[in-house]
Amino acid sequence: MSFEAEIDKIEADTILSGKPFFSRPSGKIFLIWLPLTIVGVLIGLYAPHHLLPVLQSPEGGDVFATIVFFTVLAAPVAALVYAISFYSLIAWRHKGEDPDVPPPDAEPQRENGPMTVLWLVVSTFLVVVLLFWGITVWSAQQIVHPNALQVNVTGQQWLWTYSYPGTGVETRNLELPLNRPVQFNITSKDVTHGFWPAVLGVQVDANPNVTTVIRTTPNKLGGFTVQCSQLCGLYHAFMNNKASVVTPAQFATWLQSNGANRISAAVAAGTTPVAATTAAVSS
Amino acid sequence: MTTAVAPPLLEDTKLGPKAGGFYRRQNIWTGLGFGIFLGFVAWVVSHATIQGSNWGSDMVVTCTMLGWVIGFNVGMGTFNAPIRWMLGHDQTHEDELYAAGVSQGSSRYFKFCTDHKVVGTQYLVLVMVLFAVGGTLAMMIRTQLITAHSSFLDPQTYNAIVTVHGMVMIIATIIMVSGPFANFIMPIMIGAKDMAFPRLNAMSFWVVFSAVPCLLATFFLGGVNAGWTTYAPLSVQAPPAMDAFAMTIIVFVVSVTVAGVNTIVTVATMRAKGMTMGRLPIFTWGSVVGGALGLYAMPAFLVVMTMMITDRATGTSFFVPEMGGSQWLWENIFWIMGHPEVYVILIPPVAAVLEIASTFARKPVFGYKVAIAGFIAIASLSIMVWAHHMFTTGWAPNLAGPFMITTELISIPTGIIFLCTIGTLWRGSIWTRLPMYFVYLFIWNFIIGGVTGIYLSDVPADQFFHGDMFVTAHFHYTLLGGAMIGATAAVCYWFPKVTGRMLNERIGKVAFWTIALGIQVTYFGQFWEGFQGMARRIAQYNPQFQTANQMSTIGAYILMTGWIIFLYMMLNAWRRGKIAPANPWHAKTLEWKVPTPVPLENFVVDPVVTSDPYTYGEGVPDGQVVPEFAPTKEPELVPAGSAASGEPTATGGTN
Repeated sequence: MSFEAEIDKIEADTILSGKPFFSRPSGKIFLIWLPLTIVGVLIGLYAPHHLLPVLQSPEGGDVFATIVFFTVLAAPVAALVYAISFYSLIAWRHKGEDPDVPPPDAEPQRENGPMTVLWLVVSTFLVVVLLFWGITVWSAQQIVHPNALQVNVTGQQWLWTYSYPGTGVETRNLELPLNRPVQFNITSKDVTHGFWPAVLGVQVDANPNVTTVIRTTPNKLGGFTVQCSQLCGLYHAFMNNKASVVTPAQFATWLQSNGANRISAAVAAGTTPVAATTAAVSS
Repeated sequence: MTTAVAPPLLEDTKLGPKAGGFYRRQNIWTGLGFGIFLGFVAWVVSHATIQGSNWGSDMVVTCTMLGWVIGFNVGMGTFNAPIRWMLGHDQTHEDELYAAGVSQGSSRYFKFCTDHKVVGTQYLVLVMVLFAVGGTLAMMIRTQLITAHSSFLDPQTYNAIVTVHGMVMIIATIIMVSGPFANFIMPIMIGAKDMAFPRLNAMSFWVVFSAVPCLLATFFLGGVNAGWTTYAPLSVQAPPAMDAFAMTIIVFVVSVTVAGVNTIVTVATMRAKGMTMGRLPIFTWGSVVGGALGLYAMPAFLVVMTMMITDRATGTSFFVPEMGGSQWLWENIFWIMGHPEVYVILIPPVAAVLEIASTFARKPVFGYKVAIAGFIAIASLSIMVWAHHMFTTGWAPNLAGPFMITTELISIPTGIIFLCTIGTLWRGSIWTRLPMYFVYLFIWNFIIGGVTGIYLSDVPADQFFHGDMFVTAHFHYTLLGGAMIGATAAVCYWFPKVTGRMLNERIGKVAFWTIALGIQVTYFGQFWEGFQGMARRIAQYNPQFQTANQMSTIGAYILMTGWIIFLYMMLNAWRRGKIAPANPWHAKTLEWKVPTPVPLENFVVDPVVTSDPYTYGEGVPDGQVVPEFAPTKEPELVPAGSAASGEPTATGGTN
């Protein structure tokens, strides 16, 4: 069959060609696109349950929901690009006898105004949806609870120190009470570190001479790890510690006993957080 | 075989015994010798003159590196012409011909050579060497991470390797397309005889060449332990390796800036008659936009590294918080460079992908003007998105919203580029030669890189993902899976023109599938690590991440195998591949209309341009022809009737 005949077989991909939708390229691409989209959406709905750790705060819940929502939103778009590229290999690939001879030229199509506009409108719409989602969620996270538990966090090469103002407790193992808003005031004694309690869905750098603030409310019991997320020198990989969310009663007892891992007074004297010179982050 | 009778070629000119003057005595050996000599002198003199310094002081290391770079370039001949001009003996025509490589055979590849094709080839080899170095370092990182508590590397070495892997790859990817192809191919594409500033062109290569030893020297100066982002104040306290690192970047930025100016001026002033801006091949547009964006971005890198050196060596305190400096100042200037920079990397290969897709779909580029607008929109937006790297630094939380907006807006022009790519494939006559394989792989990978980017642009989700392996996987999908695969497509596409040889596509397809599989396994492993919450740049990790890390490491070994096969294919073809015809892809851009090997000054007769090069299937005469060498039909390498013999005769001159 000559290539021209193949071209005739493909025919114009419009309703005017008189062919039913599923015999036209767009119909066939739809048939590839649909299962790909379904797979993508299912991955978006189910994979985060299995991949992510148990998130222990509303902010963590926001992370979870964002991943699900964005994946579901992106799946049809990515699937469209995959479907068209796969279909182009199936249907429009030239299988000549001599690989050194190029196929005859295709029907030229330099532009398609309506399609470009449609693509622009749809992608802009999707971006607006993403932005609306992102800004809404971000704004909702900015609530300041006046009675939040204050925890001062000090990073240094290569450990974290936590102190609970008013209690005299300083520890290397973070403990938080369930369902009580907590405000972390974070600073560093030397270089930039990254305070990253991943399962709480919040993160901020520990900067020398500055106090940065993040807020969250742990809402699930259980242990987790605080890691340093900013390369901070030799033992960066080892700058992590155990942490846990406990019931308020357990937390009170723990505070009373000043924690099992309380730092001795001598050490504690050297680990008081540097006074905040810039309260840049407070609103 | 029919050959047009050509006028005598410029490279056959007989030069007098003194042509070239000093250039006659200079080559890479005098460069290396003089570089080492002046580096040594600078080392000794700076140590002797700077009070209280020792052999490894910051200022001493800086002076040594500066001495090496200046000495190397003096030894190479970079400054010959300006010095002679200042002394009142300008270069003669013969000198210029000598500097362009006339009558020097292949030794011109080891000299200061102003021929843009020589510079392009030099860049190609340098990029391959850099990728080999960066890839080796990457394999050491992945080997270290194969178990949770591996002791293959100690933490100090690991951090140094992470840093140099990052910087080598950044340098390599910035120059991987704009070095070889914007130099070798782009001038021919627009009908120019050379770049606008041939000497600056040669300089841009030898300057970046001299930067590489400075970067590798960091291993012997204590290692940079701060990652390629070298965040202050950690980097202010780092070993003297940091001074060498900063000098590397200062020197590299000089090279990139010179090359960017050269590209822009060449396209602005050197186009052939009739080659209007609207008829430029799309790759030329990509090179120009990438070069222009580099002119915006890269000087910030030079500035910030200069401030770093003064902080370290002379006691200023731009980035020292205890003395009134700010680590956020570093982070801002760094990312004002850093985000446009990824588009400096990305835009030229994407433009090459569009060019290749058009040739192998036998169709015009879909939405030529829309694609150009897309490039310009990406470049413009990319200078306003830098603070998305700082969402979790605590700096200016009120700007999270605005930077989220600009960052996500950039996905609209990126989507337009996707539309143009798949629009070009739409109902094309898909000719699946090796370059086209990599075009498809570019599309498949880059969509994953793009989609995973939206999670990171969203501030609440970034609170989880920042500093996490998810980020690593994301940018490797865009920069390796996207940009570098696009550059690989470009290598496969232009290899016959650059080397005069055809690649062995059977080996190429083995390499292709290995690379394609390796990328997916490696970086899906890293996405998995990222979802589980593993931090980046850590030498040891919690055993819960081990399965994902092993998947990634296995993938990395597959990927390495693929690249080794690809490298073997390239080197093998370069040495004894099939002789390539002038236009193996039957493409319509001008570089395919000149003979291979391309003569000096490219065009014996000026080309005639009456349309853009995308007239596939439009039934009009080709609007981009080179009169003398434009056969009405392609020269038939295989006589009709003997189709079985695949080997074309090499009567055209193998050279």
